[in-house]
Amino acid sequence: MKNYFTLERVTALVIVVSCLGFVDFAGYYGQELIAEIAILAIFAMSLDLLVGYTGLVSLGHAAFLGIGAYATGILTVHMGWNVASSMAAGVIMAGLIAAIIGAFVVRLGGIFFIMITLALSQMFYAYFLKNREFGGDDGMPGIPRLDLEMFGLDASDPAIFAVFTVIVAALVFVLLDLIMNSPFGRYLLAIHQNENRMRSLGAPIGLYKLAIFIVAGMVAGLAGSMQAQHMGFVSPDAMFWTVSGIVLIMVIVGGTGTLVGAVVGAAVVRMMSHELSSLTEYWMMYMGLFFIGIVLFAGDGIYGTLAKYWHRARDPKAPQDLAK
Amino acid sequence: MFTDPTFLFIQTLNGLQLAMLLFLLSVGLSVIFGLMNFINLAHGTLYMLGAYFGLWVYVNTGSFWVALALAPIGVMVVGMVFYVTLIKRLRTAPPLKQVLVTFGLIFVGLDAVRMSWGNLSKSIPTPDVFSQSVTIFGEIYPSYRLFIIGLGVAVFVILYFVLERTRIGSVIRAGVDDRDMVSCLGINVDLAFFGVFCIGCYLAGLSGAVAGAVFPVEPGMDMSILILTLIVVVVGGLGSLKGAVVGSLMIGMAETFGQVFLPQFASVTIYALMVVVLLVRPGGLFPTRAA
Repeated sequence: MKNYFTLERVTALVIVVSCLGFVDFAGYYGQELIAEIAILAIFAMSLDLLVGYTGLVSLGHAAFLGIGAYATGILTVHMGWNVASSMAAGVIMAGLIAAIIGAFVVRLGGIFFIMITLALSQMFYAYFLKNREFGGDDGMPGIPRLDLEMFGLDASDPAIFAVFTVIVAALVFVLLDLIMNSPFGRYLLAIHQNENRMRSLGAPIGLYKLAIFIVAGMVAGLAGSMQAQHMGFVSPDAMFWTVSGIVLIMVIVGGTGTLVGAVVGAAVVRMMSHELSSLTEYWMMYMGLFFIGIVLFAGDGIYGTLAKYWHRARDPKAPQDLAK
Repeated sequence: MFTDPTFLFIQTLNGLQLAMLLFLLSVGLSVIFGLMNFINLAHGTLYMLGAYFGLWVYVNTGSFWVALALAPIGVMVVGMVFYVTLIKRLRTAPPLKQVLVTFGLIFVGLDAVRMSWGNLSKSIPTPDVFSQSVTIFGEIYPSYRLFIIGLGVAVFVILYFVLERTRIGSVIRAGVDDRDMVSCLGINVDLAFFGVFCIGCYLAGLSGAVAGAVFPVEPGMDMSILILTLIVVVVGGLGSLKGAVVGSLMIGMAETFGQVFLPQFASVTIYALMVVVLLVRPGGLFPTRAA
């Protein structure tokens, strides 16, 4: 019998419901924080498709975030498009660029993949940093938010926008959950676990990896478009390589290989940096130490570890890799 | 002015100077990777520490030469501490862990520097010997920059001699080729790696101290140089001295001439160069092993 109420889905539902409940009585900063976390959660989930499910460790994922953000910014501010079509264009643009980049990076493995994704994302950073037309290092202000008039809502209200981002994040979760539980998703997991066996079974490994690279790029592009709308602004900093590093940390902190893990990681890291930066000027040092500690000592991440204990408590005899 | 030979010559010297700094950084990173499959994103942080240590020694002793002698040793000691506490246990870890731990170290290093020396940009004055500029083809050129070029060449010659002509060198080259086999021969590869790691840190510190008299010494100087260094290593091929030299020269020149001829696309030129190289040779120009 198929179990539709997996721990992961139930956890996701609880997170979404509690976020929506919290929006109502969170103040302005709380609502802004929720929107920010929801957007980061989308971004982190997209990276987890590569890192956790497929075993492709990208250190250049921020490029797609930036492409989605710049596409939305350029199309709305310079070309006068409406926001909805600029969002779609941002997603498609990120997908196209992911297809081009992916076509020659998915063959590579391990450290080469890491370094080349890093260098290529810096190429986009360098381009937008120098391009005066799109604001150069000052960035591009004045990006509008999606028009929610047809629902009778005003997206410039932080509460409404927070709810909107949470709903989009929830939809992304459902979509990616469907993809990863489809035969295609199973293929990717199998490639991650034993690439040589899959190759000898005749699976077109490169094609599958390219496909998920494109999906991950498109979802990151969506996150970028949302981020541009949230801040009303985009600058090259959105695609600086440390952004890729931090989202990678989020995935690790939450636990790789589960979509909810990425969401938990995004929330924990964002809230931590928010709290720490209000306490000390040197908060980055403590974040760095926290990252090192998590990577060295908590291999399964927060959600991964909790899920492991949960499954163990429910059925002590079951094999212990159920967390994934 | 773009076809003026004097101008081109001066730009070539500028490119060489950048290339030599990149060489000092990338050779350590590349050989450490080749020998141990360890990727150290905090290599740029060591460069920054070299510059700050140099500044600190200079402020306290007033001598550039003492700073240049001591700062790299200080950086090497920092590297040793990291090796013993963190890196030793990461050697066999998957690349993801290595990247993330050294990524965390970047933040720690950045704030440690900000805590100790503040956010402001500083500089190390060039020593009196180099206060005079030299005249080359009627153009005035700072002699300190020639010193950097000379230093880079000297380091290359020494490294080449040690790697190619001594027993230690052959252990290192053999370790890059086939680590398990060398270890079976009764050679302590771990010790060799530790030695190479220390030298790599020393050279990173040296380039930082040297660069401190040309570029501003400020928090964040690690980030800008790190990406260039990684590109050098990727273009040159992992694990080889030759790759580090050729990669540094190509990137140093492409960056310098790119700034001059295509300022609009300044930094994009080096990435374009990298993409072209990788399309032709996916493992870099002179890889010691197949990618």
